[in-house]
Amino acid sequence: MPTDPNLIVGLDRADDAGVYRVSDELALIQTVDFFTPIVDDPFSFGQIAAANAFSDVYAMGGVPRTAMNLVAFPIRDMDISVLRSIIEGGLDKMREAGVVLVGGHTIEDPELKYGLSVTGFIHPDRVLTKKNLKPGDSLILTKPLGTGIINTAIKGGLASKQMIAQVTESMATLNKNAADVMTGYPVHACTDISGFGFLGHLSEMVVGSGCGARIGASSIPVFPETTEYAAMGLVPAGAYRNREFRLSMVDFAPTVDRILQDVLFDPQTSGGLLLSVAPERAKDLLHDLRAGGIHDATIVGEVIAEPKGRILVQ
Amino acid sequence: MTKELDCRGLACPAPVLQTKELLEQEKLSEIKVLVDNQAAKENVSRFLGTRKFEISIEQKGSDFQITAKRAETAGTHEPSLDPELSSEKQKIMVLIATDRMGHGDEELGKKLIISFIKTLQEIGGELWRLVFVNNGVKLTIDGSEILEVLQGYEKHGLAILVCGTCLTHFNLLDKKRVGETTNMLDIVTAMQLADKVVTL
Repeated sequence: MPTDPNLIVGLDRADDAGVYRVSDELALIQTVDFFTPIVDDPFSFGQIAAANAFSDVYAMGGVPRTAMNLVAFPIRDMDISVLRSIIEGGLDKMREAGVVLVGGHTIEDPELKYGLSVTGFIHPDRVLTKKNLKPGDSLILTKPLGTGIINTAIKGGLASKQMIAQVTESMATLNKNAADVMTGYPVHACTDISGFGFLGHLSEMVVGSGCGARIGASSIPVFPETTEYAAMGLVPAGAYRNREFRLSMVDFAPTVDRILQDVLFDPQTSGGLLLSVAPERAKDLLHDLRAGGIHDATIVGEVIAEPKGRILVQ
Repeated sequence: MTKELDCRGLACPAPVLQTKELLEQEKLSEIKVLVDNQAAKENVSRFLGTRKFEISIEQKGSDFQITAKRAETAGTHEPSLDPELSSEKQKIMVLIATDRMGHGDEELGKKLIISFIKTLQEIGGELWRLVFVNNGVKLTIDGSEILEVLQGYEKHGLAILVCGTCLTHFNLLDKKRVGETTNMLDIVTAMQLADKVVTL
């Protein structure tokens, strides 16, 4: 792999996005994300894909500035108006985020896919990675868990309309407000919860930071109906893979049942931010997050020095 | 009756949905489902478990054969909401929305509700659903004085439903020790199917 002294965060760091120093004052954050539809409504799908793509930039502490659309579309089988609605949804979130669309690329594909390549700005000294948890820090999660399980129920035609609306709104919500609020606080590390699930992403943080974490299972915000769907076997395969991959790092107290464990490993689409903040400021940060409209933000646990590389879920 | 279902090559949630569809079409005493991945094995077993089947799993090469037999104890109290499966007996649903009985003295109210739930068994086979909502869900958690009695009822086949939204609201999801977590749609459907609904 070619190396470059200006590459601040690259592939080897496995962080949310790549960061490249342009000058002493400016670094670029780059990320790309695309996927197949997870909700039936094309406009909502566009919104979710954009919110999901910008999320990696927010998780690094940066501000997204430009975006390019990536589209794979089955033009022979699907009406072009569907694509228009998807793009409109993406543009809607770009406007909200202050991002400008600079181009894109479309191919024909039997399976619809949409996503964005996003570029953001950040000061090179203020890059927020996953690897700087400090023992004693409070851990705050900004969105409820369960989108993977609920999306499985949606695929199966078993989710209630109300649930679809609630989870769609959450997935389409930008992590912008949360990122704006946290800039005023001593936040040491941050990531966004996506495909590896809450415990998967927390595992990366504790391994990278050389410490451990203690999580209060009952404090974790979870979408309503999630545990019911999980109990009836509507758990996505990704949750089992995440569990298998990281189970050796996690100690579950006997009171944490299997269903809740699966929720903690459930892969999220456009999940919330998981951030680590100095404990004496955690309550103020939480207050400001909630005042800023992030009502589900919750303190879910703390960073501990020992045992290193382990997560205790109690 | 026994039926076999081949769900190899299918990704979640398709194996669960096909199993569900088959169970809804006919009443089966045994069902065998063949799957080819861990997630489907876990999900189908879990689903059949919630439908009161006893599960055994056999590995066949890289595939898994799930054999599910309808549990004997489920015979007297059919947990399915399917109306055609219900007997001619009257179906009584008891909806408990509080952790105490009546207004007035709190301590007395708590004693009364425990006595009430213990005495419910006198209704016999016509007691069809026990549903807990709002403060009532606190009777189903760790440390509840009535927990053992409820667990006994469940073991004897009584369907106990506990409101998931309420458990989430009180942060008690991981403390529930009896019954199935449920939603408002199930509760309303149960009300519609019941011959008599007693609300407390």
